[in-house]
Amino acid sequence: MISKMFFALLLCASLLLGNDKPTLTIYTYDAFSASWGAGPKIKKAFELEHNCTVKFVGVSSSIGALRKIQLEGKRSKADILLGLDTSIAQVAKKTNLFVPHTLDTKGLDVPIAYHDDTFVPFDYSYFSFVYDANRLKNVPKSFEDLASMPKDFKIVIQDPRSSTAGLGLLLWVKSIYGDKAGDYWQRLSPYILTITKGWSEAYGLFLKGEADMVLSFTTSPAYHIIEEHKTNIKSALFKEGHYSQIEVAGILKSSKNQALAQKFLHFLHSKTFANIIPTANWVYPVIKANPLPKAFETLTQPSKTFLMDGKKVEAQRRTIVREWLDGVN
Amino acid sequence: MLLTLSLLSFAFGIFYTLYTFDDSTIFTQIDKRVWGLLRFTLYQAFLSMLLSLGVGGLLAWALAHQSAFRGRSILVALFSSSLVLPTLIVVFGIIGIFGRHGYLNQLSLFLFDDSFGSYLYGLGGILLAHVYLNASFASRALLHAFESIPKEKYKLAKSLNFTVFQRFIYVEYPAIKSTLLHIGATIFLLCFTSFAVVLLLGGSPSYNTLEVAIYEAVKLDFDIALALKLALIQLGISAILVVLSSRFKINVSNLKTSHTQIPWKEYRSIQWIQWAIIMIFALFFISPLAVIIIDGLGADFMRIMAEPLFIKSLFTSLSLALVSSLLTVGIALVLSNTLRELSLKTRLGNKPFASIVQGIVAFSGNLYLAIPSLVLGLGFFLIAQSYESPMWIWSTIAILTANILMSLPFALAILSPAMQHTAQRYDKVVFSLGLTPWQRWVYVEYPYIKSALGYILALAFCFSLGDLGIIALFGSDTFTTLPWYLYQLMGSYRTSDASGVALILLVIVLFVFVSVPLLFRSKHA
Repeated sequence: MISKMFFALLLCASLLLGNDKPTLTIYTYDAFSASWGAGPKIKKAFELEHNCTVKFVGVSSSIGALRKIQLEGKRSKADILLGLDTSIAQVAKKTNLFVPHTLDTKGLDVPIAYHDDTFVPFDYSYFSFVYDANRLKNVPKSFEDLASMPKDFKIVIQDPRSSTAGLGLLLWVKSIYGDKAGDYWQRLSPYILTITKGWSEAYGLFLKGEADMVLSFTTSPAYHIIEEHKTNIKSALFKEGHYSQIEVAGILKSSKNQALAQKFLHFLHSKTFANIIPTANWVYPVIKANPLPKAFETLTQPSKTFLMDGKKVEAQRRTIVREWLDGVN
Repeated sequence: MLLTLSLLSFAFGIFYTLYTFDDSTIFTQIDKRVWGLLRFTLYQAFLSMLLSLGVGGLLAWALAHQSAFRGRSILVALFSSSLVLPTLIVVFGIIGIFGRHGYLNQLSLFLFDDSFGSYLYGLGGILLAHVYLNASFASRALLHAFESIPKEKYKLAKSLNFTVFQRFIYVEYPAIKSTLLHIGATIFLLCFTSFAVVLLLGGSPSYNTLEVAIYEAVKLDFDIALALKLALIQLGISAILVVLSSRFKINVSNLKTSHTQIPWKEYRSIQWIQWAIIMIFALFFISPLAVIIIDGLGADFMRIMAEPLFIKSLFTSLSLALVSSLLTVGIALVLSNTLRELSLKTRLGNKPFASIVQGIVAFSGNLYLAIPSLVLGLGFFLIAQSYESPMWIWSTIAILTANILMSLPFALAILSPAMQHTAQRYDKVVFSLGLTPWQRWVYVEYPYIKSALGYILALAFCFSLGDLGIIALFGSDTFTTLPWYLYQLMGSYRTSDASGVALILLVIVLFVFVSVPLLFRSKHA
């Protein structure tokens, strides 16, 4: 009896100790880590190349994931934060919780060159309002149209304090309206059904039919075309131009797997990754790989795009958010 | 006594942590946004209170005059269960009925080919949920007040040929006035500190209460200074409100219900109105619950049960609820014992300091109303930030404390009178027989307060199980409770799983609330 128990204990111990594969923990937004998101595919591909375990931890929004790291401080189990964008990366840098990367970011295929010693781009797209063509006939073609729709027209947007998409919209409006942005928000306010914490919550509301339009990306319809064979979900092209989003990732100073984490950042610029990401996260890859699926050719192509410099954004982010808060209040 | 001191010093500790954490930025300026928040918080609390009292009052009036119909007792019992219904569940059901794609809009689309559109998010939704949660609670208390009106007064009113309105003004209103004030103050406080409802139905930053703003400042902006500023304002105002409202006491004890029957019926038209009120409110109350059951039954329970996170959060929630309900009962017993020690003339009641100490002890039991859970959570959060221990320990302590404080006011209100009563009745016998404390407990106290204990246990258990407050600050992928899990399911719009989990939560809460008091039912009562 005792010997049996001893063996059982030994077995347990060997199981525990035998599992010496390092685990790379990546904090990201929920749409990335979800079972239907990019996370599982990336995990499989990276684990295959490097003998390790990848663990994605999904938070309701990407800025939420950053806050989680800030709240946990040195105790954080995260090795990598994935999913911020160039607009908010400065905030993350200022926390001093991240370490520089070892990549060369020249020659990446992004809308506007981005070089930062800490954060590296891994995909990009353009913000856009997405609608269901079967339900919405009178599609707005500009921000002015958007603010003069019929009364029962509703959009759902994300909170700029938690979601990079929400912040992107603010910067988009700011790039177009400048000093009159506050005034524009006041005009748009009656059409906002609700403001969600993250992208997936907003998109879910839209798909459930609660709203006519949702702030998403020009590339979102690709999902519906490829996965659901539906062509009625479309993104609206706005005359004023579209705001770009380059998503970035960075390594935490407190990470105990620095070497592996650097390898992961390198992996973000590999062909394998570039082939997975368009049909997993529904965005454009940052390096040229296999040609994009056909569905991507049918997507809205903005002729004019904006992207403010990260440092410039950080200098006025609080003012812009305050202006928005006052506008929608 | 010791417990009171520790509760009070704990409150002070929280305040002190909040106060000293940030040096000077707090009082710099109360800007436009904070003013806006404060105004909205007070405004929605005031409207919620008025509406809840109005609806609850009408319902109580209708029920009081329709005193004999089938299912009345079930209906009244159902209304009183609203106290333990998890807010999240209620909101979930309300969205199912009143949401843009809820049953109401679908019905109107079917009948009139037009829907009401989306009206739920914002002030409307907040008020709707608050009325749902509080009107039934108010009606229960007001019904008691209506029923305590001596029937002779009604006879007199009839002989004076009063109209229904005159009868209300001269007979009924004076009788329910004190209950109205007391319940009104409580509802105002509850709505002032409302968190889950506003978080889910507020929709935009313009409809934020201070509690939600504190949560957002921490979780979204990581702006601890702003969170502190808001917390201190919140703390200050709720403390003032608690002190003010403690002056409204219910005094229905002097009114006795006589067994005189009223032989006549109400006018036909009035009866119709009363029936309509009861029917409409019953429909309003039952339909969100029905939606949860109907939608929930369609969920894939095998998949839900197989989710490790579900198992984990269920286990965490049940153990937290068990521990906090047992502790609540223990603390309530000790506090009630101290209270009766101090108030009875035969014991320490005639000592000069007794009434002051008694007031302090009573206040310590009502701390929850003064320290809203998010403020409490923030305090714990800051403590956790400055010590290097695992987060889950702090999370557990914070949630247990909040849950206990939340149940204590109700526990004391139920237990204290019962214990007072046993002491008044049996003190002399016990002392003359020279019973040991243990014997006294087994033979005298326990049999008489048994049912009260069972009720408190069930109440505290349900409160804890359904609470979505502090967990919003502490919840993570490694530490989660059932309501938090449900909130996240709702957030990611996995609607079918969410309705399944909502049903599970509802079933557990109702099962505990009904079955636990039955286990403790006293044979004497």
